[in-house]
Amino acid sequence: MIDSRPMLQLHNLYRYFGQTRAVDNVSFSVRRGEVFGYIGPNGAGKTTSMRILATLDLPTSGDATVDGFSVVDDPDRVRLRLGFMPDNFGTYPNVNVREYLDFFARAYKFTGRERKMAVERVMDFTGLDVLAEKPTTGLSKGMKQRLCLGRTLIHDPAVLVLDEPAAGLDPRARIELRVMIRALADQGKTILISSHILTELAEICDVVGIIERGQLIVTGTVDEIQQQCRKPHNSVEVRVIGDAAPLAKWLCEQADVSELHANGSSATFTHAGDPQAEADLLRSMIEAGFRVVAFGSQEQTLEDVFMHVTKGLVQ
Amino acid sequence: MSSAAAESTLQPPAATADGLEHNRLVDRLLERLGDHLNPILVKETRQALKSKQFVITFGLLLILAWSWSLLGVAMAGTDVYYSAQGPGMFMGYFIVLAFPLLVIVPFGAFRSLTGEREDNTYELMSITGLNPRQVVSGKLGISALQMAVYLSAISPCLAFTYMLRGIDFVTIMMILVYLVLGSLGLSLLGLLAGTLVSQKHWQVIMSVGVIIGLLFAFWVGCRLCGGMVIEQQVDFFDTEFWVVNAVLLTAYLSYFALLFFASAAQLTFSSDNRTTRLRIVMVVQHFLLTAWFAWGIFAHGLESELLLAYITMAGLHWYAMGACMSSEATELSPRIKRNLPQSFLGRVFLTWFNPGPGTGYILSIAGLISAMVMGLLILPLLDMSNGLYLSPARSSNYGMLCAYSFIGLFYLMIFLGLGNILLRLARRVSQVGVVLAVLIQILLLLVGCGVPVVIQLMSPTLREMDYSLLQVTNPFWTLAHMADRWSAPLETVPLLLILGTTALVLLIVNLVGVAREVRHVRIASPRRVSEEDAVMAAEKVPAEPEKTSPWDD
Repeated sequence: MIDSRPMLQLHNLYRYFGQTRAVDNVSFSVRRGEVFGYIGPNGAGKTTSMRILATLDLPTSGDATVDGFSVVDDPDRVRLRLGFMPDNFGTYPNVNVREYLDFFARAYKFTGRERKMAVERVMDFTGLDVLAEKPTTGLSKGMKQRLCLGRTLIHDPAVLVLDEPAAGLDPRARIELRVMIRALADQGKTILISSHILTELAEICDVVGIIERGQLIVTGTVDEIQQQCRKPHNSVEVRVIGDAAPLAKWLCEQADVSELHANGSSATFTHAGDPQAEADLLRSMIEAGFRVVAFGSQEQTLEDVFMHVTKGLVQ
Repeated sequence: MSSAAAESTLQPPAATADGLEHNRLVDRLLERLGDHLNPILVKETRQALKSKQFVITFGLLLILAWSWSLLGVAMAGTDVYYSAQGPGMFMGYFIVLAFPLLVIVPFGAFRSLTGEREDNTYELMSITGLNPRQVVSGKLGISALQMAVYLSAISPCLAFTYMLRGIDFVTIMMILVYLVLGSLGLSLLGLLAGTLVSQKHWQVIMSVGVIIGLLFAFWVGCRLCGGMVIEQQVDFFDTEFWVVNAVLLTAYLSYFALLFFASAAQLTFSSDNRTTRLRIVMVVQHFLLTAWFAWGIFAHGLESELLLAYITMAGLHWYAMGACMSSEATELSPRIKRNLPQSFLGRVFLTWFNPGPGTGYILSIAGLISAMVMGLLILPLLDMSNGLYLSPARSSNYGMLCAYSFIGLFYLMIFLGLGNILLRLARRVSQVGVVLAVLIQILLLLVGCGVPVVIQLMSPTLREMDYSLLQVTNPFWTLAHMADRWSAPLETVPLLLILGTTALVLLIVNLVGVAREVRHVRIASPRRVSEEDAVMAAEKVPAEPEKTSPWDD
């Protein structure tokens, strides 16, 4: 579904608040149908750049485009193509779910049957149809997130900008939200999503960008980033039948092995070799008579990459 | 149960089925009507019908109206049969109605916008397909709807006062029209106030200001109603009364349009043109003012007082508008540049409607000069047929009027010019909003007026003196001194020289900024925008009819 044309682009975007550089020369593009994960610590500039994309704020310099339209000069055209789900949003008192969505459908100039269908479609997709008559102020956090996602989707935008959509959700709600986002990506929507739950982002994102102190540090697919940030040593865990002490003694004599720890029937160590060398080590281990139950080389996760490339600095 | 009874239970009678069909038809019609209504009006009506605030206010209005009915009649006793009790009763009902209409509804309009900002709902609404004018008209619509509900609730009581004699139908209707117009105007002011502040602490301060202002308006409303009803100061058979009403209505409508566009401009995205519509309204107001004074002069003869009032009002209008326009950004966004006038005549006459403090400064000066040309040349020339104005007896008045007008023009050039320079400097260190810009302009005027007055009051030698050249920076005293004499006072020449030179210097300094703003030229729309516009234009063109015969060519 991914198209080569960029649907969303940031060109040398800057946003200063006094002396603070909230966004500092950020440039990236997201292709049609792609899911872009925007990762960064608190105060890194994610929300600011997303608000600029959503035409809620102006950049100090630089520009961003959505489907070729500038967010600075043509916000009206951008708004028709973009759905924004903020991290912090309010609901109206004395309004139920259907009325809330109906208001936004009217605001996007849907009329008559078209409007009713838009509301039904969104309620059906987000699973809010059973709560249609419930007041919005009485919804749980998870249901409010669904409602906000529904509002974001009401005009069927081609681009979705989702700021921390999974914040504060329980595991079930998070999984359901992830499924919904994946379904939207499969429909060909371009999605820019920020989240602190990196394992989830790794699963749903095609491309990831890491931002810190307003600067985009690294960008690429999860695999590319993992390759770029691969550590020279892999952590390996081995479990054998019986005591691991003889195995530890044997491992001490092997090349590329260091930081060895034995505990009961398992031993952990770091190995400086490539995957081929790891496989040779395992074969030697078995040939040496050790009855290996498990041999695991720990893969570098997005969290490891994140911790590796960011310095935890705040501004 | 008999079979006939069972049949009637299972099958609804034909009349009921017709009724249901009728209801469905009404529903469908209402829904179709609802499609054309402002979405905010629909949403907020739904909210209001469920809100406690509306129920409590409406309930209190009814209780108070009923209570006053009982109390008023009890207090009148048997007099209710023999004397006119209408005015007293009406006054009571007016107070009951005016409080929600002049205080609660406008404050509700103010809170409706500030509340959306507090609850983080405004931003979500602002990025929909609703434009700022729809937001303002939707919020205003809900105020109008509340007024209609309150009015309909109290209308039987007002009809009752008519039956009690002493008050006629025209008076009742006039007062209700004034009340509704007042309430709508105050609601619009409340909305404008709501757009001016976004931070919470400023919202609190603004809330206090709005409440005080609304209570004052309520007091004024009650006093005016008392004057009309109890003291019966109005003569409906007097032509002047209707002329004054027509003037007030014109002014009301023009200021309503100005406030409406100003509120919408405050909600408009920064890169969009927030100004041109407002400037058009300002010019229309100027023409309306001119038209009414021209009518006055032709109806009553060319009186110096009328011309003086005309030029003074034009000066005040353009000073206030110039102060607001000085808050605008000096740079034009590419979006605005796409629509700049490009023909020679367009650039000469329409450039002054483009955003920018420099173009606003020139527009203000041009506005006052046009009033001076009208007041000092055209109207006297048109009125020369009766040969009165330029007679020797009145020529000194004419000279004074000229001096007064030029001094007023110089003051406008000086204060707005100086304010513009200060604001340009202030913009280098921080952003300048409309409130801050107007405050700086007012502060400048206050300093100009206050400092020489304080010096004169504190000096034992000058204390007892009347006007002196020390007050040259005080436009109010200087112009009042000129107008008092009806002949040019001794200070006229030095005043003209001092103020004229200063005004000229400040104009030249400001022309540098004006030149920068005027230099902007139209730029082409981005390719993507042109492409989409072309597609949309093609969709609007009706499809060519298919050939149905060989002769169709």
